[in-house]
Amino acid sequence: MSIPHSSVLDTRDIRRTRLDNGLWVLTRELHNSPTVTSMIWYRVGSRNEEPGGTGRSHFLEHMLFKGTRKYGKGEIDLLTMKNGGTNNAFTSFDFTAYYFSFASDRWEAALEIEADRMTHTIFDAVEFDAERKVVIEELKAGLDQPWGVLMQELNRTAFERHPYRNPVIGWLEDLRAATPEDMERYYRQHYCPGSAALVLVGDFDTEAALRKVEAEFGGIPAGSPPEPRYAKEGAQERERRFDLEWRSAIPRIAIAWHAPRVGHPDSYPLQVLAAILADGKASRLYQRLVERDRAATFVSAEYGEALDDTLFYIRAEGRATRPPEVIEAGIHEEVQVIAGRGVSEHELERARHQIEAHFVFSMERSLDQAMLIGQIQTLATLDYIDDYLRRVSQVDSDQVRDACGRYLTATNRTVGWLLGSPAAAEREA
Amino acid sequence: MLRNGLRLLLVENHTTPTVSVNLTVLAGSCDDAEDLAGTAMMASRLLEEGTQSRSALEIADAIESVGGAIGTDCSFDRFSVCLGVLTKDIDLGLGLVGDLIRNPAFSTDSIGNERDRTLAEIQSAMDRPQVVAGWEFNELVYGRHPLHRPVHGYAETIAGLRREHLTAFHGKYAAPDNAVLAVTGDFSVDEMKDRLESVFGSWEPGSRVPNRPRLRPERTAGVRSRFVGQDSQQAHVYLGHLGIERAHPDFYTLQVMDAILGGSAGLTARIPRRLRDEQGLAYTTFASITSSAGHDPGKFLAYIGTSPENVDSAIDGFISEIEEVRSAPVSAQELADAKAYLTGSFVFAFETNAQIARFLINAELFGLGFDYPDKYPTYIGSVTADAVLEAAASHLSTEDYVLVVAGPESTVSGRIHPVD
Repeated sequence: MSIPHSSVLDTRDIRRTRLDNGLWVLTRELHNSPTVTSMIWYRVGSRNEEPGGTGRSHFLEHMLFKGTRKYGKGEIDLLTMKNGGTNNAFTSFDFTAYYFSFASDRWEAALEIEADRMTHTIFDAVEFDAERKVVIEELKAGLDQPWGVLMQELNRTAFERHPYRNPVIGWLEDLRAATPEDMERYYRQHYCPGSAALVLVGDFDTEAALRKVEAEFGGIPAGSPPEPRYAKEGAQERERRFDLEWRSAIPRIAIAWHAPRVGHPDSYPLQVLAAILADGKASRLYQRLVERDRAATFVSAEYGEALDDTLFYIRAEGRATRPPEVIEAGIHEEVQVIAGRGVSEHELERARHQIEAHFVFSMERSLDQAMLIGQIQTLATLDYIDDYLRRVSQVDSDQVRDACGRYLTATNRTVGWLLGSPAAAEREA
Repeated sequence: MLRNGLRLLLVENHTTPTVSVNLTVLAGSCDDAEDLAGTAMMASRLLEEGTQSRSALEIADAIESVGGAIGTDCSFDRFSVCLGVLTKDIDLGLGLVGDLIRNPAFSTDSIGNERDRTLAEIQSAMDRPQVVAGWEFNELVYGRHPLHRPVHGYAETIAGLRREHLTAFHGKYAAPDNAVLAVTGDFSVDEMKDRLESVFGSWEPGSRVPNRPRLRPERTAGVRSRFVGQDSQQAHVYLGHLGIERAHPDFYTLQVMDAILGGSAGLTARIPRRLRDEQGLAYTTFASITSSAGHDPGKFLAYIGTSPENVDSAIDGFISEIEEVRSAPVSAQELADAKAYLTGSFVFAFETNAQIARFLINAELFGLGFDYPDKYPTYIGSVTADAVLEAAASHLSTEDYVLVVAGPESTVSGRIHPVD
């Protein structure tokens, strides 16, 4: 059994088309598997929500499955089932995305569904109330996860004004107060070809696919989504800290530093820094916290790519047998070492290879390709991918040292602890 | 197969310049002694923590420096060493897999750290009520059968693990004639065979591994329930009982039943459609009997995460749906849709090299045949509504089941009676 090779990282074979109404259409043929992933990305997320209206983008994502002009409630999932496909959707700070994966002889159903629900979703009051309950269950499920609790508080503390401080699922009070009329208004503003990118990856013929896209989407008016209006986040001038007591025997820490938006020249050394700090067992923080100090079981570092100025995170999960202070001291010390001395050539090479390989492995599934293409098109442009690996490979120790020293400072950070309660510790004894 | 008994399963896939390796040894947590539960998992995790010639850091640095990944996995009946690597680094990757499985150091120092980490990870898992409820559920369903235990064992048993237990486990089970090796990706089969011969050819076969006596777990009679108090927002309900083995003749019929009753595309199946989409009781709810079917019987499980005041409605919902599928034939439409879904979505289980490698291992271990992808539509296509009714009536019960609810003390349910 043998499956033919196809090029992996080259975006030159991604055809870019823009309809007259502003809809971006990005297509890549891939014939290793008789499947097609069709994905649509709307440039609307929690970033666009006004005070009192948090959670609206995510709740709206749910409503797109609850009934449209052509498809009654449950019919979109039923069509997916009958066609032996899968579908899902997700909402983030900057975007909302929907996808269908179907066999290649029936994938065009996805286009019909997306075109219909882009403008003909129905906001029935009874369905809205029923779905509100589901969203509230999802919110509760998130707050039952220790990291859900900690990261929600961290974002709220690190950002004082920008909407990134709000959870994507929204605050409970806002969900309770939500109305179908407000949601429909939001939908009409933001769900339009001008704010969307359609991504098709898989076993189709490009010309035929583009004709079908034009037929389904060409007649939809462009729309003009409003730019989000929000207060600018001022510079953080001193360290922020909080402790939350929670029903756990073990401590967890999350630290966030303000970082520049995607595509900024400093974002590349920060990506490399994240890999050197915590990607894999040979990384600095893993060796320090898990192996040497034996204070943690897990550590991660992440530069969160976003449309606006974002956060650089370090997180770790501790052990009941070691004082939490050991973890925090270890993190600060390792950061200081890099800010003072930079990193080794070997570590830079390793980080480059890890980042490159991540792209290569993500190319195995049409869904993963569609995710990558769609996310980049929404946050930047496709040229970002072409440039990305080149710019990452040019990052040197001085740049990493410099970025670490400028961004990962004490005054720029927010430190949050989710601490075990004495009661929980007793329970474990 | 190599002369030492190592079974090789090789599939070329040139979609990406990558290779996936899955070396699976046929021993898992069910082979642990009861008072040393956690041996298999700890032994498998320690394979990464140093060999006779490489430290843990050297192993990690070697594979991460080329952007590859190596890891171990352990479940009830097997443990695996898995590798993902770019084509150009296949020799390095295979060398590491061979070294990890053949020459683990099991140093006292790494054992101490691993024990400590595992205890902390168990404590972390206890923070999640759905996990704790799941453990209780398994305890009640399986009784004294080894499947009652979590794969990682218990704090008390882990504390007692010593180097001799781990080396004994490794010495007894980690042998080529007790293992299967699947390699998928960007290579030529003939060249790969030569590479594998040079890496694994000299691996000594073990003494004949005796078949583990197959205890047959029994389904418990009556309703056995337990409440686990946890200060959480949601209550988590596990309702079910003993299930079937993978080899059971009703497996495919029950897959169709699962797609109609408990889980399918989106929210189409009866339980998620009615309990979530119509009643708004949950974000996550599903039911399945076939997803846990293995060498030993799995379990039928219906799960929901819901607000505490909804627990009784949820349980009533489960009972009502189970009773309906047991007593009335599914409609022709439901049957057709479920079959279309199962046969149509089958292709998505074979997209990545790692997925294909896992399939090859399962095809070998369960005797599915490598033409299984061609036969599967026939198995599913031949299922009738009568067969689904008969299988549901025979395998599902609303009288003999286990019920576990984990949630805040304010959870009120008339259904929970403490287990005697």
